[in-house]
Amino acid sequence: MRLELGTFPVREIAFGHRTHYADGVLQVNREELAARLGEDPNIVAVQLAIARPGESTRIIHVVDAVEPRVKVAGQGCAFPGFLGPAQTVGEGRSHRLAGVAVVATASLPGEIDSLSVKEAIVDMAGPGANISPFSQTLNLVLEFELAEGLLLPEKTASVRLAALKAAAYLGETVRQETPESVEVFELGPCPPDLPRIAYVSPLMHEGVLHNTFVYGVKTDSMPTLLHPNEALDGAIISADYHIAAYRSATYHHQNNPLIRELYRLHGRELCFVGMILCQTLIVSALEKERSASQVAKIARMLGAHGVLISMQNGGHGWADLLMTGQACERAGLKTVLVMAEMADADGRDPSMIMTVREADAIVSVGNMDELITLPGVERVLGGTEYLDAMNYEGALEASPSDEATTALRRLYCVNNQLGWGLVTASAY
Amino acid sequence: MAEPIRVVHYLNQFFAGIGGEQEANRPPDVVDRAVGPGKALEAALGGRAVVVATLVAGDNYVAERLAEAVTEIVEHVASFRPDVVVAGPAFNAGRYGTACGAVCAAVQRNLGIPTVTAMAPENPGVDLYRSSVLIVPTGESAAGMREALPALARLALKLGAGEPIGSAEAEGYLARGMRKNEPAARTGAERAVAMLLAKVRGQPYRTELPLPEFDPVTPAPPLRDASKALFALVTEAGIVPQGNPDGIEARRATKWARYPIGNLDDLTAEAFTCVHGGFDNRFVHQDPDRILPLDAVRALEREGVIGRLHDWYYVTVGAGAPISRARTFGREIAQELVQAGVQAVIFSAT
Repeated sequence: MRLELGTFPVREIAFGHRTHYADGVLQVNREELAARLGEDPNIVAVQLAIARPGESTRIIHVVDAVEPRVKVAGQGCAFPGFLGPAQTVGEGRSHRLAGVAVVATASLPGEIDSLSVKEAIVDMAGPGANISPFSQTLNLVLEFELAEGLLLPEKTASVRLAALKAAAYLGETVRQETPESVEVFELGPCPPDLPRIAYVSPLMHEGVLHNTFVYGVKTDSMPTLLHPNEALDGAIISADYHIAAYRSATYHHQNNPLIRELYRLHGRELCFVGMILCQTLIVSALEKERSASQVAKIARMLGAHGVLISMQNGGHGWADLLMTGQACERAGLKTVLVMAEMADADGRDPSMIMTVREADAIVSVGNMDELITLPGVERVLGGTEYLDAMNYEGALEASPSDEATTALRRLYCVNNQLGWGLVTASAY
Repeated sequence: MAEPIRVVHYLNQFFAGIGGEQEANRPPDVVDRAVGPGKALEAALGGRAVVVATLVAGDNYVAERLAEAVTEIVEHVASFRPDVVVAGPAFNAGRYGTACGAVCAAVQRNLGIPTVTAMAPENPGVDLYRSSVLIVPTGESAAGMREALPALARLALKLGAGEPIGSAEAEGYLARGMRKNEPAARTGAERAVAMLLAKVRGQPYRTELPLPEFDPVTPAPPLRDASKALFALVTEAGIVPQGNPDGIEARRATKWARYPIGNLDDLTAEAFTCVHGGFDNRFVHQDPDRILPLDAVRALEREGVIGRLHDWYYVTVGAGAPISRARTFGREIAQELVQAGVQAVIFSAT
């Protein structure tokens, strides 16, 4: 499978009469886009705003972030299973608007089966911005107001679809254009002496609220094999509304940094043999064992020498991660795990909920319990009050425009467990 | 040029050159300059800091009255208004290492002045004080002085200047059992691939997260006769009366509660709910007995398999709980249960 990914860097984004891209400037017809997104009867209103790096702006209630894409050649569409048939993508040509993100926000209070949408904050400047993936992008912020009487999963479904529609709408601006650069992703032949590496991507699935979609379908089946190009080409969509710090946005799946790094070294230092998807946050012991064992089996069938296992969410998910790593090591595969830590604010609590002896190579993306003080800001997008209720220790009672101290937990994707960022934790 | 950093140095009688065991009962004494290894320390400080005083105390004097001796020493330290206090190196001398750790801990706590000491990792002072005191690891004997002093001096200069102290690995001290965030030079993804390549190639690699050690939980011995025992139900699954009267949080709960079940045979969905925010609990909402099995335990009670069920059940939410807090909750709940004469607990977790 050969995927050409054409990049159109966006250096400025502005509202204007006509939605189009030219010379690095993305102009957006605010009314036209709002009208399209408002076609969903569940969406009562949508506000559009722009947030730029360095601005004294705080975005709250972030639900997802998506990179604008268009499928130019090859089967499928930008987000298969959502905006078109669930046809396999990852071949042909896609175009991306780089340096820009559609950031969907909505105030979604309440809970379903005790599961709730957690607060998620992006600061465009200050200490929170230093560690946030979306302080570096030009953000088209969509603030959705949902109809009364809907269940939470119905609300999140509407926001999810609208964010994907907006990303595809913006992507259309560069369908016919010539990209500034083109990357080619193809798992070509390797010299036989290179180590064969498989990438294992556990995807979050918890109840009816928190999920990861693959081709429009929730991840709750047995582990399966994907071509990494499929992930890069929009097959994986985030629906994780749990703890903000260790989420992976759809944007991160589209630009999965582990896949990109494995591709960078493919054919030179390693041979990237494929991507194994599995579920994380598995409920029963039997299913946990089956998943871990099947991942190891598929990796062996790929002839892998080593596996890299990323992570989504936590709790039981970390148990799943460790069990999967253990199964791989016991199958003779060298294994590295990527995970966030939950070591309490002072960093003195054990970072993980269980251990297996085989987990001797872990990359830490930081302790999400550590505290950070966010300064007051001039502008708040996404809502007017933090979403906290009483469902978390240390509710944020400040107004979102004021200075506040919070655990990193509430900062969107700052401890991303696909290894996006630079934050790590060390022994002190 | 800035004022030199003021250092107070703590030594035992032996390293101060006063004498061995025969002088180990000497009370604290003050010398207004560097002595013994303090001279080499001062040289290692490179002119940016001066040893304004050396405090010397006998090993036995301190060991036999630790709290009292440390108070005396801290008073002396205060009178010199140091920017930083350095103790040792104590190498593998147990009494000396303990004294160094105790002096450092007390100076930090009572005077708010930063401290650093040095000793061998197996010195008993390490286990006692490493969680709060910066300890530079040394060899077992004074032969390791030459390696120990530069590391000690480097940390003393940073502490004295009020500069932030980096990780244990970067600064060369024994980790205090604490994790702190810091920026890495490369992304997590780049580090992960590099670590995996090293591991696959059989090259050295180092995990960024050493596995924590958990307290082993030894199961209690079995009941001699369950049919005569008082049982209790305890859960971390957030089963509470409707309305969650004590406001137990869905994650990282800050409290536990107990609720009466003495006149109940069954937990109905009308009367009880589940507020645990860490799992999909639809099946619990349908029937709370599925997590807190009151109906089944009542049946066992009727059949005479168990003696009696305690009239209260205890509950918190375990999702995301720091272990230190869970330990406190556990102790508090266990204490009440023991006082009530409970001999067995059925603990349901999620």
